[in-house]
Amino acid sequence: MALIRRVFKFAFQDVGRNIGMSFMTVFILVLMLLSVNALWSVEILTGEAVHLVKDQINVSIYFTAEAKDDQVTEIQNYLKSFPEVVNLEISNSEAVLESFRERHKLNPEVLGALDELGGNPFGPTIVVKTREPGDYQKIITALDLPEYQNLIEAKSFDEHRDAINNIQNITNRLEKTVLGLSILFAVISFLVIFNTVRVAIQTQRVEIGIKRLVGASNWLIRGPYLIESILFTLLSLVITAIILYFGLHFVDPYLAVVFPSGFSLTNYYFSHILYIAGVQALAVLILTVLSSGLAMRKQLKV
Amino acid sequence: MIKVNGVTKIYSTSSVALRDINLHIKAGEFVSVIGQSGSGKTTLSKLLIAEERPTKGGIQIGDWDISNISAGEVPLLRRQIGMIFQDYKLLPKKTAFENVAFALEVAGESNRRIRQVVPQLLEIVGLTNQATRYPSQLSGGEQQRIAIARSLAHRPKIIVADEPTGNLDSINTEEIIQILKKINEFGTTIMLLTHNRDVVNSLHRRVITLQDGQITLDQSEGKYLI
Ligand SMILES: Nc1ncnc2c1ncn2[C@@H]1O[C@H](COP(=O)(O)OP(=O)(O)OP(=O)(O)O)[C@@H](O)[C@H]1O
Ligand SMILES: [Mg+2]
Repeated sequence: MALIRRVFKFAFQDVGRNIGMSFMTVFILVLMLLSVNALWSVEILTGEAVHLVKDQINVSIYFTAEAKDDQVTEIQNYLKSFPEVVNLEISNSEAVLESFRERHKLNPEVLGALDELGGNPFGPTIVVKTREPGDYQKIITALDLPEYQNLIEAKSFDEHRDAINNIQNITNRLEKTVLGLSILFAVISFLVIFNTVRVAIQTQRVEIGIKRLVGASNWLIRGPYLIESILFTLLSLVITAIILYFGLHFVDPYLAVVFPSGFSLTNYYFSHILYIAGVQALAVLILTVLSSGLAMRKQLKV
Repeated sequence: MIKVNGVTKIYSTSSVALRDINLHIKAGEFVSVIGQSGSGKTTLSKLLIAEERPTKGGIQIGDWDISNISAGEVPLLRRQIGMIFQDYKLLPKKTAFENVAFALEVAGESNRRIRQVVPQLLEIVGLTNQATRYPSQLSGGEQQRIAIARSLAHRPKIIVADEPTGNLDSINTEEIIQILKKINEFGTTIMLLTHNRDVVNSLHRRVITLQDGQITLDQSEGKYLI
């Protein structure tokens, strides 16, 4: 118990008396964590954006007014048998007429033309959603059967493909930029860390040598450095979390404009906090423990 | 107190530091080991605290055969022999008080005992007023006195001082030697490794001369002869 208390005392003393070095270490760790999180966020946003657009894509199958209900049901069942299809929505001819009127209620000419035709010129409509945008072509081809020719008036594939490509292009470019920055940043911080650690290791080596000569056990030598590593890890995580919290709050209003679904990075981070924090804590801990472990490896052999 | 039986230390085929050393030092002795640079003095002191292992032969400290001491026992050995070095080997980020206290802390002494013993040790070396200074704020002589206070922390039966005055002027040298003599008077065995002619000649104690890793002279009240 006294030993553990002493290990902690030495650790805190060491941090306090090397305050410049401690500050530097935490600073670098925070910068590293921030760039990792920037990359992570871009990744999440890309995924979300693509998902959003994919979600809006569908194929509409317009039936002629002559199409009978059981024929429509047959095609509906046929479509349901495709594993790619995730959702089918059917609107009967009245509903289609209703929504047509609704859409054009400010356009008396169109409504006039509709009245002139008399009756309901619309047939039912099926809206199909598939797992992947690439699947739509398959659905359209599948319906290209001669026996369906005079039942189906039109098949429209809302051309969201360009939108998806656009988003993917933009996010790819964004990802590359962030990745490039991160790499640049990683190189710089590696050099700084390398140098910091080298200097730290040099002083640590001298200290460890002296401590051994005075009769300190490995535990008392290793312990404080381990505690320091854990302390630096926790501190850098907390600081990163605080910066991230305010940063995300700053970004979220912009995201709300882009994502009408109400997607918020803050919420994302909060709902995945254990995973995100856990992975990063582990990574930083491994980094810090490894580097000071490296410093001690040679020294602790008796 | 110290028995060295037929010890040879070979670092590598081109570097034979000690050859067949036989040495017997009794409790309470003040022994100087002299020899030119490279004659093997430091190697001998490293063997005594198990910083190096003998290639051949045996070493006994008290009744303890340390020739094949295990890694876990090394700290225990080092808490029984006080070591003093030419370059002091103080921890730079600890104050004078903390440096002395460290030797007690590693041995698991209670804080109460540390608060009680450290001031006594600082008083022995006359540095009570410098307790809160860091090594960089102390003169060479003062740093060495702190190192001596630290080596005394465990009330060791043996003190091994390797060139303790090597970096000091004659006044500080004299002071350090006086402190060592005082410690010896209280019964501690002292092994002083040096090539300071004046120090050895003024002591009128046993002198062992090392040459090329071999003992060439062992005088009970010796002079510096090489
Ligand atoms: N780690 C080592 N590896 C190889 N050779 C060594 C090592 N340490 C010492 N030696 C060699 O062993 C011999 C004795 O060295 P030692 O340090 O014991 O001499 P010394 O008497 O203490 O000298 P000085 O008065 O200069 O301190 C020297 O020839 C030295 O080169
Ligand atoms: Mg030497």
